[in-house]
Order: sequence, then C-alpha cells, then structure tokens
Amino acid sequence: MYRYTPFDKAFVGERAAQFRDQVERRISGALSEDEFRPLRLMNGLYLLLHAYMLRIVIPYGTLDSRQMRALADISERWDKGYAHFTTRQNIQLHWPALRDVPDILDALARVDMHAIQSSGPCIRAITSDHFAGAAADEVDDPRPTAEFVRQWSTDHPEFAFLPRKFKIAVSGSGADRAATSFHDIGLKLVRNGKGAPGYEVSVGGGLGRTPMIGKVLRRFLHREDLLPYLEAILHVYNRIGRRDNKYKARVKITLHENGLAEFTRRVEENFLLQATRFDGSEQAEFARIEADFTPPVFKEAPVEGFERALRQDPLFRSFCETNLARHKAPDHAIVTVSLKAHGATPGDASAAQMRALADIAQQWSHDELRVSHEQNIILPHVHKADLPAVFQALRAAGLSTANIGLISDLIACPGMDYCDLATARSTNVAQGIAKRFDALKLEHDIGHLKLKISGCINACGHHHIGHIGILGLEKSGVESYQITLGGDGSENAAIGKPIGPGFGPEQIIPAIERLVMAYLALREDADEGFLTTYRRLGPAPFKTAIYHSGEQINAA
Amino acid sequence: MPLEYPELSLDDRVAQLNKRGRFLTTQEMLGQLLEDPGCGPIALVSSFGAESAVLLHMIAQIYTATPVIFLDTEMLFAETIEYQQLLAQKFGLSDVRRITPARAALFERDSENLLHRHNRDACCALRKSEPLEKALKGFDIWISGRKRFQGGVRKALALFENEQDQRIKFNPLAGWDRADIAAYFARHDLPRHPLVSRGFRSIGCAPCTTPVRPGEDERAGRWRGAEKTECGIHFGPQGAATANVVMRDSGFAGDDWQGGFHDVEEIANLPLAETAALAIDLPNDFDATALLAHLHEIDLVRVNFPAFNDGRGFSLARQLRLLGFCGRLRAKGLLADQYAMARRCGFDEVEISPELAARQDEPQWLARANWQAGNYQQRLNPAMQTSLA
Repeated sequence: MYRYTPFDKAFVGERAAQFRDQVERRISGALSEDEFRPLRLMNGLYLLLHAYMLRIVIPYGTLDSRQMRALADISERWDKGYAHFTTRQNIQLHWPALRDVPDILDALARVDMHAIQSSGPCIRAITSDHFAGAAADEVDDPRPTAEFVRQWSTDHPEFAFLPRKFKIAVSGSGADRAATSFHDIGLKLVRNGKGAPGYEVSVGGGLGRTPMIGKVLRRFLHREDLLPYLEAILHVYNRIGRRDNKYKARVKITLHENGLAEFTRRVEENFLLQATRFDGSEQAEFARIEADFTPPVFKEAPVEGFERALRQDPLFRSFCETNLARHKAPDHAIVTVSLKAHGATPGDASAAQMRALADIAQQWSHDELRVSHEQNIILPHVHKADLPAVFQALRAAGLSTANIGLISDLIACPGMDYCDLATARSTNVAQGIAKRFDALKLEHDIGHLKLKISGCINACGHHHIGHIGILGLEKSGVESYQITLGGDGSENAAIGKPIGPGFGPEQIIPAIERLVMAYLALREDADEGFLTTYRRLGPAPFKTAIYHSGEQINAA
Repeated sequence: MPLEYPELSLDDRVAQLNKRGRFLTTQEMLGQLLEDPGCGPIALVSSFGAESAVLLHMIAQIYTATPVIFLDTEMLFAETIEYQQLLAQKFGLSDVRRITPARAALFERDSENLLHRHNRDACCALRKSEPLEKALKGFDIWISGRKRFQGGVRKALALFENEQDQRIKFNPLAGWDRADIAAYFARHDLPRHPLVSRGFRSIGCAPCTTPVRPGEDERAGRWRGAEKTECGIHFGPQGAATANVVMRDSGFAGDDWQGGFHDVEEIANLPLAETAALAIDLPNDFDATALLAHLHEIDLVRVNFPAFNDGRGFSLARQLRLLGFCGRLRAKGLLADQYAMARRCGFDEVEISPELAARQDEPQWLARANWQAGNYQQRLNPAMQTSLA
C-alpha cells in the first residue's frame, strides 16, 4: 500500500486547518454562503436534504485496518454509528454537524485520510480496480498510476474550478472492473509492441442524464507522457467546456459538440506545449510510488482444511461459490464481503462491522481492505487455508451474505431518503427486490446478474450499466420506476435501453420478477447469463413479459 | 495644460513617465520634468514637516521660482510656521503660496475650531483637501513627498499617478527609505524641523499630532487612537479609499499601475514603439495564441474573472506563461482562498475591490501567501516552473 510521506501528512494536516479557518470565516461573515459552498465542496462537505453529508476519500479504494477502525470511531463519535460505502469507492457520513467537521477532518488526517476533492467541480478522487494487485487476470498493477495521478491532481491550481466535476479511473486487467469507459478519462494500462508501459486513453464517458461511452484519444500513450497529456486534456476542457448549462458541462458534451477530431487536435496541440514543462523528473516519484506497491510475501500453507470445509459446510461452500475471485497466487483468494444483506440498505456498514473487517484484514489479508464501486468490501489477499476462519469471523459480524454478483448484490444510490436531488426512493426498491428473490430461493439459479437502481436522472446508482437498470423518477407527484435493459459497465461497455413506461412503487418489484422469470424460461441453459440471453434475443420477449402476464411467456 | 503635440491620454502619459522614471535618479527626473515642454505647470505641495526639506532643497537647486503650495490649516504648530519661513529664505524659494481655509466655510463649519474633536475627516476636508483642490486648479502636475516605506496604502506607491483624470501626481521620493533621507539631510546640512528633536517624525496639525515612540511606525503619531491614517488630500474627491487594492505575497498595497488598461482589440492599433508601458485587459475566454506576436511588448496583463468560480482565467494564465509571457500577470475577481491557486498558475498579483478587501482583510489573504508550500505539482516535477515572478 502507499505510505504517506511527511509531505503528504503535512499537506493533509494543512488542508484540515484551512477548512477549520474557512468554517470560522463563514460563521464570522468573511465568507458568504455562495463563496463558502465551493470551498466546503472541495473538502467533501455537501448539504443534503436533512443535514450535511461528508464524503471521505478512500484513494482508489484501498485502506488498512488502522484507517477502517478510525472510520468506525468517527462514525460513532460524530455520526450515528454507521457509514455508507458509495458507488465511487468513497465512504459517506450522513449526519455530521458543521461545527464538528473540522474535528472529523483532523481525526482523518491523523490516519492519513481526508475528504479532499470528493466533490465540487474539480478532478475527483481517482478510482481503480478493487482487485488491483491481487487479480489473476491483471496485466499491470493500476495503483501506482492511480497514486501518481492522485498526487498530480491534488490541489491542482488550474483545475479547481472546472466547468463540472471530472472523474478519472485506472484499470490494469483484461476485465475492466473500474468501468473506465464510463469516466471522463479512462486509463487502461497497456504495453506497446516493444513492451514499454503506457496507457490507452479514453475521454468523455459518463452516465448521468446523457450516458455516453468514452472515446479513445490515444491507443498508446507512453507512461512518461501521462502527466503532460492529462494537463492538455484538462486544459482544453477548462477552456472550452460549456459553463452556460450544467447539464451540458461535462467533457462528454464538450467532446460530442466539438467532435472527436477537433477535440483531439486541440489536445495534441496543447500537449506539445505542456510537454515542455516536464523534464521527466516526475518518473522518479513514479518509481518511488511503485516500490510501495510491491506485493506482500504470500505465505505457503496446506489447503486440505479449506477443501474439507468446502465438502462439509454447505453455508461455507455457498459463500465460496459466490464471494471468491481468483487470486494471482493460486492458493490465495480474493474475498468480497457483501454489504447487501437481504433487506439492508446497500453499502451501509455499522461501526462494529467496520471494526470486524479491520480485525479480519489485519489477521488474514496482509492488513489490506478494498472498497468496490459496487459497494462491497474486499479482502484482497486471503490464503485458502484461512478462509474457513475468515468465513466464521464474517458470519459472527453479520457479513457472510453469499450473494456477490447475484441479483441482490445490487447497487443503489441513497435516493430520496437522503439526497436532495433524488426524485424517487431507491433503497426501498433495492430492499424489496433483495427480499423477494431471497424468498423465492432463486438467486443462485439466476446466477450472474447486475441490477442497479438510481433515484434520479443523475444516475449515481449507475442504472445505465446495469444488466437490469431501474431509474426512479417523479411523474405528477408519484414515484415512477423505469426499467432499462442490456447495460454493461465492463470492457464490453454498453448503455442500457429503456424498455417502456414506468411502474409505480408497488408494481416495480413484481415487474422485475416477471422479467427475471422470463429470462429463466428463455435461456438456453444455466450457463447462459442474463446479458447473453438478452443480446441473443433482443428486448421483445422481455418487454412482453414485463407488460403482460408471466404465463404468456412460458407458453411461448 | 500640456502642449498640443503629444495627444496622449493622462493614463498614457503616466505610463510613459513611470517607465522613464525607472532609469533616472530623483534629481534627474525632477530636472527633466521641470523643463519638459510636454508638461504643463508644476507645483510642489509641502507641509514643511519633518522631511520636507529634501524636496524643497532639490527643487530650489533646479528652479527657485517653482510654485510651492503650503497648506496652513490654521491649526499648525508655531514651529512649523517658523520652519517654513526659515527654509524659504535659506533656499531662496520665491513662490511659496501659503494657502488657508476659506473664511466663509470656516465660519459656517468650524467657528470654534473644535471640529477636529468630533469629526476629524470633516476637519481635514475643510482645512486641507478643499483648499488644496482649489490651489491646484490650473496645474498639470503636482509633486508630493510620500514614500513607500511609510507603510499602509503607501506601500505600493508609484512614481507617477493619474489623479482622478484631472492631473498627474508625482512622488519623486516613492522609492526612498529612511537612510536615504538621513543621508541627504547630512550631505547638504539641511536644517531640521524644531519638533524632530522632541520625537515628532511626521508632523501635521497640532491637535492631531503626537510624538512617535522608538520602534513605532513613522506616521503612528498622526491621528493617534483613530483608524485614520491619511488626511484626505491623497484620496479621490469622495475623500474615501475607493481604489482597488493589489494583493502580492508581501500583502496589500495600493495599485501602483497608473497607466490604465487597453482592451485587447486595440493592441493592433497602438503605436507600440511610443507607448512606454503597456497594459491590457483580457477576457477569460480569450485565446492567447492570438497575442503571440505582441507578448513581449506587454508589461502587464490583467485577466478578468467574471465570477470567482469560473476557472477559465487560471488556464489563460497558464497558457500565457507557456507561450512565453514574462511581464506582470494580474488576476481580478478572485477570493482570498484562491490566492495560492492564482500564484501557482503564473499570476503575480490579484486586484481586489475595496468591498472585498474590507470583508476579506489582509491577514485572510496572507494566510494563502504560502503558495509554494504543499505544492504537489512542483514536488512531482521541480522543473515545472509555475510562475516567473
């Protein structure tokens, strides 16, 4: 993991002190509310429906047990004893008081954490593959690049007041678990013909009210050119991005309106100018960062105990079937801990659960934890021999839900329960679906299915890239839920298509049930996943199922 | 009034003079100015105070008939009147004009000479600003003895200033420090104001002047106990500090750029060779590549931020620096919290309205004057020069 240098520590401490001063100046009147707003946003503090919300950065989703315990302590001392893991590898406190926020930031700074650039029209916290450094299919570890870009973008003086927020994701595997195609800039680690490290750079992906897939600007960019190239993209966007309409201010619209050729021309032209500022000395810092991500020494141990537990304990077996991913060390596993217990709010964890996760990571996962954009917690390096013990510890903490990748492992934004932008509730629909399919005992039979729910058109629940997406809207005073089908956030990026008129809050769960039952009837065999079946057949049979009774489909 | 041939605006003349002043000694500049056919009538305004002898002596060396305006507020120390007569005689000054307040106005507004007790600003207006304004009618340039080391708004004093588009104000001693003054007194064996030996270092009217303790500011004895630091003759006609403040790493200062700003569209039509010092205003959506051919001719670029949260100006500053602009770069329309960003993008200074300067005072700006600390970009690449200043 990256270790804070004295420079990083001083920076984070100084920023916390600056924010304390800004809060005092807001109270004294030296800062008006309009002037204070961007300053608090730069420090992760939103004003939501009922209260302030503090969004704390978990850099590219990595944290250690000390940090997880500090988050637990903070949520108990200054909030309601729980926290919400978000769809962008952050964690949110939903009930902090403004006067406490400087103390919270100080407490975070003590464990090398902060809330800097987790909101506002700036370069947001960098996200990456939650399996980085562990996944069997990894080509190169994306974390050194993520950290490198984190440093470059932190407090970048030119890009603190962009037309709109700007999100960068980095991925280093064949499977794109960081959804790079749906970021303002997506960086994929690749090697050129000579084996030199570099990036495929895509720009202008995004969800929200105008979902778009990022377009490739460079098939291969040398690692040495990364920072000047990023400078050039951001510079061009800051100069020509629209500021007259916030719904047209993201770089995806800039790219769309200027055209890929013109946008690329401007970037390449500016890149030549930017490159004169970089003499390559920044590569020394890259090398220093890289050394921090040297893989831990993986232990060797017999795995018979693990295999015996698999045979003897059906609960453990079920957990392993869904919640494990392949580790680059064959006798290790990546464990995904579900924060989607059936009926619970997706992404919420209590202080006790956070402490349990910290303890488990410290004992069995080289002190490392990850947060996924799918709102789960990852134990990246668990030896198979330790899995039974890990499972028991998770079970004791109420964290052994075996549903990773299944329909109830859905993601949902906080919705109208917390958010002032939301037009519909989303967590109630999420809980309803999870409970319904748990009752039907069909989840494991349905298999891999990504269901995502947003409570408004801004799409924080990523519904556009759900195999099944649900978008909650308000239609003449009542909540209406629209279904989209066929979205995909992976390397085969696709945007889901709306299937037809929406459903009321009472009708949406039966409609999803009819849709999924239709899939079970239509699939060729149990190995054909929902998305494959949908791509094979198109929307028509699903549409029929959703808007008509289930019997008609079964008869067809 | 100046002669007809250089049809320049006051701003242009001020800019030219400021540029000329950089290369000349104080005496040379004074000498050239008093003999410059391009200039109209010139007067020296003197308080005959603690340091006045320097300018009076210099003027007398050049031209003893130079008009010297002496403001007798009728509240002065008796020692000041004595000193005025002594210096005039010793230096051979033949045109000292002792100006007193208008009788009618005095009778009406301060018949008991007690106005200074309850309204010092009104007293200064009655006894100094208004009589001076009248006395300066018809003069093209007036000479004042203000110096930057005196502090406050004087910290960024320019040599020449455009005074309300009415006349030019010349501050020949702007760059002098205490040692220069002392050396001049010694070299020419100038007589001292009698009160200096009693601890007075800046001498105004008797009721409002006290001695200065060791270690105190030069002008700390003026209007002691009040926030007032200037009598009013050095402000505009409203009598209040309405001018914008300029923030640099050293803190607030008055705007030393008196040359005015040209719109960028005008640049092609400007007689560049003749325009001594050139400043232009740029809108924040301007593409500086259009200015490439002129960058080396421009002394100051002011980038206007229409709203503090419109960040295009930061990129424009970066572009100007990347294209090789080495002159002064000024931002207008930012907040104290953005000062470090501005500096890192290549700005040298930020221009602040009086309203904002009152709401976000100097310490709030100075809190971000440490812009070089905690700079990730600089740390990643030390060669990444963000500002040329």
